[in-house]
Amino acid sequence: MRLLEVKNLKKIYTTRFGGNQVQALSNVSFSVEQGEYVAIMGESGSGKTTLLNILASLDKPTSGEVFLDGKNIVTIKDSEISAFRRDNLGFVFQDFNLLDTFSIQDNIFLPLVLAQKSYEEMNSRIKHLSQRLEIQELLQKFPYEVSGGQKQRAAVARALITQPKLVLADEPTGALDSKAAMNLLKIFSTINDLGQTILMVTHSVAAASHANRVLFIKDGEIYNQIYRGSMSNDDMYQKISFTLSVLASGGEELE
Amino acid sequence: MNKFFYPKLALVNLKKNGNTYIPYILTCIGSIMAFYTMVSIHSNKGLDQMPGSTNLKFILFLGIIVIGIFAVIFLFYTNSFLIKRRKKELGLYSILGLEKKHIARVLFYETVFVTIISLSLGLIGGILIGKLLFLLLLNIVHFKSPLSFHIDYWGLLITTGVFLAIFSLTLVTNFLQVKISNPIDLLKGGQHGEKEPKSSWIVTLIGIISLGTGYGIALSVETPLEALLLFFVAVVFVIIGTYALFISGSITLLKQLKKNKKFYYQSRNFISVSGMIYRMKQNAVGLANICILSTMVLVTLSTTVSLYIGQEGMRRDFYPWDVSIMGEAANTDFAAVKAIVELEKEKLNVRSGDEISFDLAHFRAFQEGSHFLKDMVEDESTDTMYYERVSNMTLIPLDDYNRLTGGNKSLAENEMLIFSVGDNYEEQTLVFGDDQYLITEQLEAIPMDFKKTQDMGHTYYLIVKDDAVMETIYQTMKNDDDPQTTLHALMFNLEGDEEILNAFSANMRAAVLQSNPDINIQNLYEALTELYFFFGGFLFLGVFLGSLFMMATVLIIYFKQISEGYEDSERFVIMQKVGMDKTEVKKTISKQILMVFFLPLAGAIIHVAFAFPVITKMLAAFRLTNIPLIFLCTLVGVVVYALVYTGVYLLTARSYYKMIH
Repeated sequence: MRLLEVKNLKKIYTTRFGGNQVQALSNVSFSVEQGEYVAIMGESGSGKTTLLNILASLDKPTSGEVFLDGKNIVTIKDSEISAFRRDNLGFVFQDFNLLDTFSIQDNIFLPLVLAQKSYEEMNSRIKHLSQRLEIQELLQKFPYEVSGGQKQRAAVARALITQPKLVLADEPTGALDSKAAMNLLKIFSTINDLGQTILMVTHSVAAASHANRVLFIKDGEIYNQIYRGSMSNDDMYQKISFTLSVLASGGEELE
Repeated sequence: MNKFFYPKLALVNLKKNGNTYIPYILTCIGSIMAFYTMVSIHSNKGLDQMPGSTNLKFILFLGIIVIGIFAVIFLFYTNSFLIKRRKKELGLYSILGLEKKHIARVLFYETVFVTIISLSLGLIGGILIGKLLFLLLLNIVHFKSPLSFHIDYWGLLITTGVFLAIFSLTLVTNFLQVKISNPIDLLKGGQHGEKEPKSSWIVTLIGIISLGTGYGIALSVETPLEALLLFFVAVVFVIIGTYALFISGSITLLKQLKKNKKFYYQSRNFISVSGMIYRMKQNAVGLANICILSTMVLVTLSTTVSLYIGQEGMRRDFYPWDVSIMGEAANTDFAAVKAIVELEKEKLNVRSGDEISFDLAHFRAFQEGSHFLKDMVEDESTDTMYYERVSNMTLIPLDDYNRLTGGNKSLAENEMLIFSVGDNYEEQTLVFGDDQYLITEQLEAIPMDFKKTQDMGHTYYLIVKDDAVMETIYQTMKNDDDPQTTLHALMFNLEGDEEILNAFSANMRAAVLQSNPDINIQNLYEALTELYFFFGGFLFLGVFLGSLFMMATVLIIYFKQISEGYEDSERFVIMQKVGMDKTEVKKTISKQILMVFFLPLAGAIIHVAFAFPVITKMLAAFRLTNIPLIFLCTLVGVVVYALVYTGVYLLTARSYYKMIH
């Protein structure tokens, strides 16, 4: 079943007085199946972030359509967009985006509180989740009291607690040391095995090598994609590295 | 390097930080204007020639001191706020290769520019507005003849000196800030994770107790003298209570709310409560300051305005008759005195209204039940009730009383009629020395005075059988510095234009005293000038300081909003990312600002409400007993203040929203 379908997405940024036009996305189309774990790679300026922002409904495309579970998110009204985001999408950011004024537990509760769930329900959801993410001990602490890896696990818990259709991750390992990064990637793999669809934007070959499929984006277009098939993480790593070096040298001859 | 590099950089910095530096410079200008104006009015030569100017000058001098202290504290506060905000910028400079001494040089030029701008504009403004305020002051104190108002070079010099010193001190503190920090700290300035504040039940309890004590004192005060003595005690308790409750009570309360899961995990409470806990930690002291400043503004304005407006009514309390002339009955030729008065009246064509004359004896006594003692208690300073028991006694012979009232009362040797200005005399008898007198009647009215709702101590008029009885009592009771014999009094009212009556009063005093220097003249119109100076001076200072404190409040609020805007904008971006929509963000923000903003105002209004009984009692000590008037003045003051406050709120909320979006 197709969960996410992106069709002919185009985004042009215009400077304030209409002088310069910058094309961030020229023509992007791809789709994500239910339960897939997809990584999107590309250099800085390739349009990754623009793409993610559009998928997150934080930005609108110049043209093109995005369907999530059959619903076109480009045409959702502004007044409904926050609720839509809250109910259907979970976010994991590079810099965690936890609020200093809340305990870890309250940070995780935040989307549920906004969705006006009862305290009992929040409580039952967090029990299960915190165990799986190994953060039960941290729930009463504050973000400034825990390590980066712990913060990111809390952020993952916040993304998952709404039971979203799709988790969007923006460079989730970007601010973590290699050990914490490996740990996080393992968690992503585990939750993906349990059926969670994940779309991750990353620079990191190691991070991307955990995905089922890697999309490469260059100059605002999908340039290539790699399916894992039966490859191991190491094979995947090799293949991604190779593709990236070809991409960097501007080669056209790949496959 | 170009020698204009540093000044240029400094100028660019000031421009770039305009939204914080412009208010700062305005504060400086305002303080300089206020200070110079006070100094120049105080040292104005013309003021010396006015009667009653000593009191006024003293009041103005107090004003100079208050403004000076205020300027130091307030400019330091705003400066430290500004430099904290700019730490990141300064850190960037040092990473780009400016050494600390170079940064110091930039800071130096910035201070020089700020000083030049604020001193020149402040002094020019002071000269202009000083003239205006001086005219206003003359108008308030009813001084008609126009006095010239020169530029006061001495005042300019003092003001420049004082503010140069203040600016140098702020510069030194800024140098120290740069010196003790390294670039990384500067870059990250103010970004440390905030610990959740601890709340202390003990501090909260202390707050509740001292606020309760303060309010209790305010409510239990019964007499004007108690009010004067206990007011400042109550103020101290209320100030302690305010700080304790803002600092700890608020957080204790919020934490209790947080513990209530059903309440806390509601979308409308969740963000507000946790946000407020942090906000109270950073701002409790600032908010308590605003609360106390606001209370001060309200109390100052309402009392001074009430006194000024109410003085017309008060003067009758001080002076039941426009003119009263008294002299020792034995050595004064009252026919001659009256002739002089008539002559002066004719000269200026002044008419007089009612006129009475009678014999009297006057002395002070110490009341203990029905006994009136000549000797004052020895430990008068320790006994707060001492003044409550001092009585002003006036004896009047029965024939004079009967003549003036047209009555036909009779008294025996040991009998008296009594008239008490305040509450009725409660005993049946009066004892002077060894002699006991029986009260046969409590009089409800008397020609020479009238009933007053509040009386400082006691004032009694006693009607005795004849001159002989009066003489006997007087000789028993009089103190060494009282006149040797009993007195005769001539009292009358005047009709006509106030200015002519002023002139007449002065002429009459001179003429009468020339004929007999021992005569005592009390004149409402002469006293009026002094009252105007006294209460007018108070009002002037009250309004002046009130506006100054108001300016301070406004600026504290403004700076607070700006600094919070920067921090909150990051938090609200995150909240939007996790699914909070814009209208919710806006609602939450306005709820928070509203609470932070109106908490001090609400506190101030409650303080004023509890202070009201004491204020009325204190004003009664100044003979202002018109409680509806005081209430009205207070109410108008509160309403006007709340309106200004709300205006400031709307303005700052706008710049806050701009920062968030």
